[in-house]
Amino acid sequence: MTSWLQLGEAGVGLGGIHAWAMATAAVIAASCGLVGTLLVVRRMSLVGDAISHAVLPGIAVAVLAGGRPGGPLVFLGAVAAAMLTVWLTQGLRAAGGLAEDAGAGVVFTTLFAIGVVLVGLAPPGTHLDAACVLYGELAFLPFDTISIAGYAVPRSFVAGTTVLAGLVAAVVATWKLQVFTAFDPAGARAAGLPVVGVTAGLLAATAVATVASFDAVGAVLVVAMLVAPAAAAELLTRRLHRMVMVAMALGAVAACVGYLAAWRLHTSAAGMIAVVLGLEYAAAAAIAPDDGLAARVIARVRLAWRVAREDRLATVWRAEESGNRSGARPHTPHEAMVARWLELTGHLLRDGSSWRLSPAGRREAENVVRSHRLWEAWLGRHADLPLDHLHPPAEWVEHHLGAEMRERLEADMDERAADPHGREIPPEA
Amino acid sequence: MTAAAGLVSYNTVVVALGVAAVGFAAGVVGSLCVLRKRALAGDAAAHATLVGVACAFLATGRRDLVTLLVGAFVAACVGLGMLVLLRRFTRTRDDAATALVIGVSFGLGITLVSGLPAWGYANSAGLEQFLLGHTAALTARDAWLLAAVATVAVAVVAAILKEATLVAFDSAFAAATGWPVSGIDYAVVGLVALMVVAGLPAVGAVLVTALVVIPPVAARFWTDRVGTMVVLSGLIGLVAAVAGVAASATRPGLATGPLVVIAAAVVFAVSFFCAPHRGWIARRAEASQGMASQWSDGEVGP
Repeated sequence: MTSWLQLGEAGVGLGGIHAWAMATAAVIAASCGLVGTLLVVRRMSLVGDAISHAVLPGIAVAVLAGGRPGGPLVFLGAVAAAMLTVWLTQGLRAAGGLAEDAGAGVVFTTLFAIGVVLVGLAPPGTHLDAACVLYGELAFLPFDTISIAGYAVPRSFVAGTTVLAGLVAAVVATWKLQVFTAFDPAGARAAGLPVVGVTAGLLAATAVATVASFDAVGAVLVVAMLVAPAAAAELLTRRLHRMVMVAMALGAVAACVGYLAAWRLHTSAAGMIAVVLGLEYAAAAAIAPDDGLAARVIARVRLAWRVAREDRLATVWRAEESGNRSGARPHTPHEAMVARWLELTGHLLRDGSSWRLSPAGRREAENVVRSHRLWEAWLGRHADLPLDHLHPPAEWVEHHLGAEMRERLEADMDERAADPHGREIPPEA
Repeated sequence: MTAAAGLVSYNTVVVALGVAAVGFAAGVVGSLCVLRKRALAGDAAAHATLVGVACAFLATGRRDLVTLLVGAFVAACVGLGMLVLLRRFTRTRDDAATALVIGVSFGLGITLVSGLPAWGYANSAGLEQFLLGHTAALTARDAWLLAAVATVAVAVVAAILKEATLVAFDSAFAAATGWPVSGIDYAVVGLVALMVVAGLPAVGAVLVTALVVIPPVAARFWTDRVGTMVVLSGLIGLVAAVAGVAASATRPGLATGPLVVIAAAVVFAVSFFCAPHRGWIARRAEASQGMASQWSDGEVGP
């Protein structure tokens, strides 16, 4: 990509340039993470997508009217375009009966198309072209500086920091309102809170965050910065304030990592930031504490292992009960492995070619068999099942009955401590 | 006149016809999608196509349209598959999952397309034309290919129109009477992916959704009959495609995609305001007539 080569030729102190570019990307990613979390919890992600496209004509008109990228006029134009998008979408629904997604599909594609054509009309040197619209120019931003207290600071960093500070202040000031509106909009409306105002404010904030990010990552990739860190944070935590902070942190980290990776690989920084955001989401989906993929796999493996252990112990117990010692012998390699593991943990003792229970193993096995037979007895009394249909459900449920449940099942029985097959139910160990 | 006619070569005419066929087919397929209330189903597929284009080029080193579009179609299906997986295995909701696939897959596509020249693939120039569409580079052979894809898509829609209509309007009844609802849904989404890919050279990944959304939504204003709507939607897509191609030919370097979308939007605006019965003006007239007759009856007075 040409921009990296030109950077090198410019002969600027590269370290400082990279630091500024990363700092800029991090502050805008944090703004997007903040706004995006509110969009995601309110199920308005696609509104964010629509707005991030639709601000383009607003920006283009503002630039054609003499505004400079990152200046107040451009912010104003973008917010106006965002409001126009929402107004048109809602107008189409009210006046034309269009479904919201269809209406949004018409409005944002049309506005983006108009924006692209307007950008094509912009005179050269206005810092606005089709490539900038799609990729942004993060690598060039540090060269456009303004002087603050004698230091040359990139203009986009100043704009991004201002936007971030403003958004944080606005969200903190309206925090309770945000939480209420996000999780119970009907209740908030009934309580007389300005729900429409909060929603309009969120849309304006989306537009502002989009414009702040526009120079750096372009219009299309903003949607990744809005939604990906928020969606990842939503998997990692269930409290809104933590979600916001996690999303902002994930966005900032992805901005830095993505920038460095793009620099190493000589490719688009904006694209790479989106890719890193995707990887962060994938990692969150994998390691999320309650229902992440890893947590689910671990829970399943643990359950399968416990069932295998308990089944082995119960099999040996039944073999000892019937006096048929060869019944305790494992039949498959998996069963043999489970038996050897139980020997290591002191539940089974080797007995020639077969196995017998240790006292600890006997206690555990008796509870499993007890669960099994109590359940058979209960089913036999209450479920009106034929005798040969009692075993399969009991085989499944024996692993899930606790001591308390066994006690209740026993209390439900008549005095005879035997299952419907006439076998004795062992006492609680 | 003669000078203008001389400028219009055989190639231009064939390309315009190919793109027109794609516009027609996209309108036809899109109406099924819009009736099923899945207007934005194609957007995730559309943004994912760029990865496929870049990967197809990386894998084969070829830049011909067939190779790139096959890659784009595979990537579109992978993008839609990711959506299904996200829905199945995470608690991320549909809207966020769609936006996530759009943003991340497009980012990966941009990363690949921007990186190719620096990674030693000097002849990769032109791939970025799939972002906003550019018909100037198409050959007559490409156009015939697009027309063939469009014909297949229209034929499939004609074959499943009755079943798809039933599923769109009353999926519970369709399921209860034994129609394979999810199979028909997959077929419709697959067709949308196919049309998104076919629309890619002319309209580009960012805006190609408009090709399957705007024509059916515009056609809906004119009629209440599904068959009429499907055909009308196809015709609107065709007109928009031809108008966009023609407009982009007036100035070199002008991307086709935005112009096609603007043409479609103009037809939409006309439909929204002027269509009989459902149009805005007709509704306004109806409402004020109703009010006038009420006043003249003396039931409601000022």
